[in-house]
Amino acid sequence: MTPTQAPDPEAAQAGIEYCYAQGWSDGLPLVPASQPLVAEFLATTSRAPDEVIGELEQVGRDCTVYLAAVNAAMAGCLPEYFPVVLAAFDALMRERAARGGGWQSTSGPAPMIVVNGPVRHELGFNTSGGAFGPGFRPNATIPRAIGLIVRNAFGIRPHVLEQATQGLPGRWSICLAENEEESPWPPFAIDGGQPAGVSAVSATLLRTCEFVDNRHTPDPEQVLWDIADTISRTGSLIFRDTSAGVVFCPEHAQMLAGAGYAKADVQAWLMEHCGRTGADLRRAGKNGLRGIARFADPDESADATFTRILPSPRHVPLVVAGARNAAISMVVRVFGEWSGTATPLAPLPAARERPAVGLKT
Amino acid sequence: MPALPSRGTTPGPPNLILDPTGTTTTTRTAKPRAPRARRPASLRGATVGLLVNTKQNAAPFLDELGRLLKERYGATGLVARTKVNFAQPAPDELIKEMAASCDVIVTGIGDCGSCSASAVADGIAFEASNLPAAAICSDAFGVTADAMAELHGAPGYRYATTPHPVAVLTPDQVRERAAQVLDDVVALLTA
Repeated sequence: MTPTQAPDPEAAQAGIEYCYAQGWSDGLPLVPASQPLVAEFLATTSRAPDEVIGELEQVGRDCTVYLAAVNAAMAGCLPEYFPVVLAAFDALMRERAARGGGWQSTSGPAPMIVVNGPVRHELGFNTSGGAFGPGFRPNATIPRAIGLIVRNAFGIRPHVLEQATQGLPGRWSICLAENEEESPWPPFAIDGGQPAGVSAVSATLLRTCEFVDNRHTPDPEQVLWDIADTISRTGSLIFRDTSAGVVFCPEHAQMLAGAGYAKADVQAWLMEHCGRTGADLRRAGKNGLRGIARFADPDESADATFTRILPSPRHVPLVVAGARNAAISMVVRVFGEWSGTATPLAPLPAARERPAVGLKT
Repeated sequence: MPALPSRGTTPGPPNLILDPTGTTTTTRTAKPRAPRARRPASLRGATVGLLVNTKQNAAPFLDELGRLLKERYGATGLVARTKVNFAQPAPDELIKEMAASCDVIVTGIGDCGSCSASAVADGIAFEASNLPAAAICSDAFGVTADAMAELHGAPGYRYATTPHPVAVLTPDQVRERAAQVLDDVVALLTA
């Protein structure tokens, strides 16, 4: 496009400002959605525009396929991303926290979306370095679409029904395309019950991400101890159990796999070794249990007891993402617990093919 | 960079910027004004329902309020129930059961993003079952509680507030707070 063919900047600016003035924006400029553009989104799915895809009973609002399309268009998605948006939203609505009060929570949780299968390359997802972003359109705009749906279709807006105390970096911007090519383990979607080779989306809510930089040892167990230390910090414990996943960099994953660790072995190791002594928990005012909630109990009798905090493999989801250029992995702190399911991408309507966008694989 | 798909190929209405909220479509209509229960003149002889939302200190707070309502205002019965999922509105069966067995109800403590809003939503639901209700929220959550009231057709719905935070209070401080909010609760429950 030559400069003389470029769109009218004043018209574009006016459209963006109009969207701000309506209160629709998450703070960044929106793409003004029009009927012809949204029609292209709707053409990528065989689901009816008025199908309700999510409901928040307590606020009396719901989201339809049509509203999801409008918000996805505004988020900057291309129409061909829309099946991924729908699958991500379906996956999120399987999370108890997302159906309940999660979007209103003082914790301000962020969705983490994980994409598997051929769709990663078909749509040009970033599958390697900088997995947590930014820089890549599908990875950036698909989670933003989810955020706009929560804001606009559900009406959960900051300072009103959304009560995040501090929120967290990365809210509405975490969409990992798993680095299946450099992962030694089966794709995450298989852990979510999907067959190999299928394009599928998994999602859960996070309270934060914390890096573990360990390029100092050839001993995989030392890497696991380093990760266990981060998982076991008392600041994140509020209930009896917790859930913490690991987004492994390829180097750590390959080191573990090379030493014979399958995913299940890593999960079992972390379940066994993550936790704190009663004394540690008491020092932080979190040793007592009332139901499942922790509180400060002056009782010292359990000081020497080691308390484990990860109750099942489902509470330790493992993903492989990022570049193979350094041994840096990420602990992802799950809000509530992952449903343990992945959502397959719906087939495109007849006579429509997912366009090859020709980005590097 | 993939080529942008062609635009404007679909016939349709004038090319307006679309509303992503769904609130201007014809399928959504304004909620009717929520009903408010008739208030008794006093709590003498009344059975008071206490709906505890499981937030830290909610149970001792409401227990103390119940005790004071008996001691100082002549209430005679207490029915305490626990709402298992604090983030969501109380289930219909629980509302029906309490409406059948109680004369007035106190619910709380709303001291988180979702539970403040849902404490107010519960209060409004109890009113619809003709049960005068007093919801108690921490004063840090006024905006979200008010927004919920509006969503449930009760703009300006009145509830009692106690200063934030509640969860860290000692047992003595909880009793003190309950005593401080007592008159507001009685004013909300009586004519």
